[in-house]
Amino acid sequence: MNRASGLARHLILIVLALLALFPLAFLFMNSTKTELEYSKDPLGLPTSFNWHNFTDAYDVVIRPIFNSVVVVGVSVLGIVSLAAMSAYAFTFMRFPLRRLLFVMVFALLLIPGVLTLIPLYLQIKRLDFMGLSNSWGGLILPYIAGGQAFSIFVLRTFFGGISKDLVDAARVDGASEWHILGKIVVPLSIPVLVSVIVINVVPLWNDYLLPSLLLSEKYRTLTVALVSLQGNAQTHSSSQFGTLMAAYVISCIPLAIVFTFLMRYYVQGLTSGALKL
Amino acid sequence: MTTRATAPVLAGSEGALSARQRDRWNRYLAAYLMVLPTFLFIGYFLYYPAYRALTGGFTHWDGFNAPIWAGWDNFQRAIDDDILQTAIKNNLIWAAIEILLAVIPSFAVAALIFHVSSDRARYLYRSFFVIPIILPTIVTILLWRYFYQTSGLINYILDGVGLDGVTRPWIGDPQTALYALALMGFPWVNAFNMLIFYAGLQNIPTEVIEAARLDGAAGWRRLFTIEIPMVASQFKLLLILAIINSGQNIVTPLVMTRGGPGYSTYTVSYYMYETAVDYGEFGYSMAIALMLFIVIIAMTALSQLLNRE
Repeated sequence: MNRASGLARHLILIVLALLALFPLAFLFMNSTKTELEYSKDPLGLPTSFNWHNFTDAYDVVIRPIFNSVVVVGVSVLGIVSLAAMSAYAFTFMRFPLRRLLFVMVFALLLIPGVLTLIPLYLQIKRLDFMGLSNSWGGLILPYIAGGQAFSIFVLRTFFGGISKDLVDAARVDGASEWHILGKIVVPLSIPVLVSVIVINVVPLWNDYLLPSLLLSEKYRTLTVALVSLQGNAQTHSSSQFGTLMAAYVISCIPLAIVFTFLMRYYVQGLTSGALKL
Repeated sequence: MTTRATAPVLAGSEGALSARQRDRWNRYLAAYLMVLPTFLFIGYFLYYPAYRALTGGFTHWDGFNAPIWAGWDNFQRAIDDDILQTAIKNNLIWAAIEILLAVIPSFAVAALIFHVSSDRARYLYRSFFVIPIILPTIVTILLWRYFYQTSGLINYILDGVGLDGVTRPWIGDPQTALYALALMGFPWVNAFNMLIFYAGLQNIPTEVIEAARLDGAAGWRRLFTIEIPMVASQFKLLLILAIINSGQNIVTPLVMTRGGPGYSTYTVSYYMYETAVDYGEFGYSMAIALMLFIVIIAMTALSQLLNRE
């Protein structure tokens, strides 16, 4: 009985995994087809190999991919730096209003982004004098703010597991708090810091609303470019279908690279048990 | 450090006390300096906008000139707004589907993987379900728009298996558009949620599992008596996140249907977005946002109360 149910389990999991992976396979299969080939058999393997689909798509998405990489890269580094400082203070230091300030950070997890979207947009516009609202910075700064609550929460849980004696011993030796943070706590926390970075990358990489409101064409991020590319493909001839699929394939590459090297950290970050109520 | 050494010599015992005090205040100062950047950022980009959102609903506001106090005008208007009523109805249907889909498939897959006996196979399965995360969400939405079209993949498959009677323009038909949007993303296994559940299952103490095994609990009984109760805190977390998310469906209707056909795929948040971004009525938009916020908070609180029972 155990054997049979084990087999059934594998069967169900394999079918579900194939279905979950289907969109990726679909993109790959159709990215080198011509429109005619696609409309005859969207599920078949390609019979022709139109490499120009990829070169056309590359020209369109490379600049937006660069923009997205810059915005997301700088944002996650900012998020983790600020969050590490705050998490350190909340974990290892005693100061008036500590509890209240922590609750103020934690409460942010309950404020839905939709409530603040429009006023946030206006708030960023007010920074126009710094040339911000229409460049990378207009996204990076609010992204850093948005990542704080979750990251501080996770880091504080992890820092809580670091021996207090170690920190106290360093204090007795005359080390400053900044020194303890930089030379003791951060080196001990590299894996969890990487986890926090990778977990933050995913929603920022996927964000569409804020960039669609803010950025001019030059600074457009990938998500905005993909939506407008789709719009163009529809108003013009639909012969751009292959290009569209190729653009989608290319748009998977950056996260594919990140996850090739860092998936372990993503999985560990979420399965460490820090996240529960 | 120098203050500690020199102050007592200079000022006697009274000075020593103030030096210790100064030392304490220095430590406070360091702590405040460490949290200051976080609070500057969340103050400017989250708390102040939230305050504007909460108060903006009581004003007439074009987003640029100073808001004019409007009292309850916007809320009065909301009561008589037929589009908003439609959006609320759509949103409730969508939320019910979304919340179920956020929790059940991800938990089922996590539980299935958890009971696979080989370490290597477990790791492989987890990876398979995490890999789709590399596909940008927006591509998933755009791709499903293709799938749903009249000449799209779903109708192609239905044709192929002889079900050409049920083919239709799934997102062009007001009867099916809302469900098509809510059911996008089959088989709905969310990597984030699945991993959280998996973590919960991993943290079940081995004694509990052992005891259940000795009692002969297996299969469905083990699922309902051990596994589901033991991951209750993960269910709670993901339920709250799903409730919050279900109030924020803007991008899918925006990119797939622009709320159409008619008003059949308007959600409350999409209507809020459109009111502000396309029509510049920031006051009314914020009033809708405020009501939505209150409903989300109330539903979250309610789900917690029900959980406690």
